[in-house]
Amino acid sequence: MASLSLLVDNVVVNTFDLNRTETRIGRRAGNDIRIDEISVSGQHAIVEAVANAYLEGTTDYYITDNNSTNGTYVNGIRIDGRQRLNSNDMVRIGWNEFRFIDEEENTLEKTAYILD
Amino acid sequence: MGISIAGQSHAGAVRGCNQDVVAWSAADDGNSALALVADGMGGYQGGEVASRIAADTLLETLAAQGGPSGDIPGQLKAGFVLANARIAERRGAEPQLEKMGTTLVVVWLVGRQAHIAHVGDSRCYLLRAGSIRCLTRDDTVVRKMLDDGSITEADVPNVPFRNMLTRAVGAMDPVELSYCCQTLEYGDRLLLCSDGLTNSVAEADWGALVQAGCNESVVEALIGAALDNRATDNVSVVLMTLDE
Repeated sequence: MASLSLLVDNVVVNTFDLNRTETRIGRRAGNDIRIDEISVSGQHAIVEAVANAYLEGTTDYYITDNNSTNGTYVNGIRIDGRQRLNSNDMVRIGWNEFRFIDEEENTLEKTAYILD
Repeated sequence: MGISIAGQSHAGAVRGCNQDVVAWSAADDGNSALALVADGMGGYQGGEVASRIAADTLLETLAAQGGPSGDIPGQLKAGFVLANARIAERRGAEPQLEKMGTTLVVVWLVGRQAHIAHVGDSRCYLLRAGSIRCLTRDDTVVRKMLDDGSITEADVPNVPFRNMLTRAVGAMDPVELSYCCQTLEYGDRLLLCSDGLTNSVAEADWGALVQAGCNESVVEALIGAALDNRATDNVSVVLMTLDE
């Protein structure tokens, strides 16, 4: 299971599970992660959970900015396309800082790397 | 015409054991030669066993049995199939080896035709008049995701399954391999290597190293550069030159 944790002064104040195929982030009602804050656009960004076509049982997470006013940043770099997320990536939505965590990715790092 | 070959395999700057194997064999008449790199994997001792079985099987079936015949791709495939079966058999017989497998890249140079077959992420490069071109395409999850646009080159170092192979000899039934044929010009070189080289010395930095002179000097220079960069994996290089 992957999640986005909202940080304030490096302290987790809320965690959102990314348990849908598409998780919508924005200021308006109806978003899966609603951030009622002025730097966030109505429909700001979307996170997709996609089964990896080449690695059975693995899910990849991709974030796409939805032409937001203040942008979506991954590790300090403004994204301009669909961007794959890695565990511990810092995601900024407007002025709101999140940490992306993918527990399964951490496990994968430690497993053997041959495919049966 | 003549074919000269040199190669070396090193455990690297960190690992205590070497699971890579390099091997080559040139025909007495100077018209054909076989060279290979295998990078074994799969836990304690397994990798060493798998890569050794693969190398021995290819040398035995291709070089030792009278050399190339009409159907060279077919002969190469038969060698890979036998290596795959032998490794699978050992996996089945010895539980501690159940995860073993190996990459395998083989060049069979016959006249000026280089027949190249591979499984996994060990590579074959063509060095021609100062240019460097990779002739093989890695069998990795990352390569497939790059090809379908899921990720960019900038993402590769961060992807957790960057070392994950989609194909390995000994771990597939039936074995699937990639094959291509390249016509060489006199003076061309073919460089076979394990990912220990490509991960520690970027292709962009090979320029001066591959101009180092004779085959032995180039191999020495590339492995030296990998060790200078504290290569964390085993590093193997084989270099074959088609001389006039």
